[in-house]
Amino acid sequence: MNRFLPKSLEGKLALAALCLGFLALFGDPYRGETVKLPTRDLAWSSQQADRIGATELADRLLSGRTDTRMLDLRSAAAYAEYHIPGAENAPLAELGTGIGEYPLYRNETVVLYGDDAVATAQAWLLLQARGFRGSVLLDGGLDAWKNQVLFPALPEGTAPQTVARAKAVAERFGGQARLGGAAVGDAAIAMPKVEAPAAVAPAARKPKRKEGC
Amino acid sequence: MSAPWFKLGLFGDEASLLVAFLIGIGFGFALEHAGFGSARKLTGQFYFTDMTVFKVMFTAIVTAGLGVFFLGWMGLLDLSLIYMAPTFLAPQIVGGLLLGVGFVVGGYCPGTSVVAMATGRIDGLAVVLGLFAGMFAFGEAFPAIEGFYHSTALGPKTLPQVLDLPYGVVLFAVVLIALGGFAGATWVEQRMAARDRAPGEAVEEAS
Repeated sequence: MNRFLPKSLEGKLALAALCLGFLALFGDPYRGETVKLPTRDLAWSSQQADRIGATELADRLLSGRTDTRMLDLRSAAAYAEYHIPGAENAPLAELGTGIGEYPLYRNETVVLYGDDAVATAQAWLLLQARGFRGSVLLDGGLDAWKNQVLFPALPEGTAPQTVARAKAVAERFGGQARLGGAAVGDAAIAMPKVEAPAAVAPAARKPKRKEGC
Repeated sequence: MSAPWFKLGLFGDEASLLVAFLIGIGFGFALEHAGFGSARKLTGQFYFTDMTVFKVMFTAIVTAGLGVFFLGWMGLLDLSLIYMAPTFLAPQIVGGLLLGVGFVVGGYCPGTSVVAMATGRIDGLAVVLGLFAGMFAFGEAFPAIEGFYHSTALGPKTLPQVLDLPYGVVLFAVVLIALGGFAGATWVEQRMAARDRAPGEAVEEAS
């Protein structure tokens, strides 16, 4: 065996460098997974393509679409207190490391919301980077959901059809439309019980083995 | 504990000066120990009679490259926090040529001139004085050359980025180039020594 080892110190060091260099072929010194981001898609997102309005989300849920998933990025306690019916709790830290824990599919619309706009945007970028191009942000977060869907303020003179629709939607999610009143900006009005319309929660699915086409 | 320690706040600005001082002493000691306090040894590089500079520099590149790579791989070093000098292609080529000319003429590069001065060499002192004179001239002329100084900016670039190759592949290639370079340098040294010893040719004075 020793016959193959270089005798000089320089030779031994050179052999060590060669072995380490060869090993480097299989390594990655950057921590975490490296991903490529489509910059053009990101540029598009500045045109609001990365957002969904609260009323639009409500319409989607009421129409029974099953391709919409909602991730609540807040803490488990805030989630337990109230969440949009059907939303799953997925704190940002978990999304970063264990996205595989959430059986998301790339052909779904993943709606992200939370109480921190920056954290929510980070989650969105994370999902985009992982190839979940259908992920969108709930425009205005949970406050918009509260003000536009649960307790929408309908000024005097709103068309009766619109009023009726807003009332129906608000009641469906356990809220109440406010005629001629200001938007509910504070916590004066209690959020409805989580269970209110339980029907829209997507049924548990078996994780698919493979994604994509 | 992950590195770089200064950027991650393990010690502050004052302590960092002490650390820099200690690293500087170590650097100077290593240069002097490698014989880089001698202008003859350094300039031998340009006459292919002494390839020590080449070997030391490539050893440093390979050692640092492998070290940084594996420390990053093991999670002990955050590569994204390491400062990388941004590339200004044209000014850096001109600057490199100027430094090379100064190296051949003066016999020292900036670091080794300080090492030579510290060991009492007059030529080292002369180069250090020239270095400061050059810095002064550069500072005075800066408004005139500022446009060129900031031209062809490419930002911080790494070889893996430029070549669009995996980091490990580039590192392995650098190691292979270095090892080939060592062998080639040794061969060149032997050739030059043999030529110098050859009968009928002028024998250089022993340094």
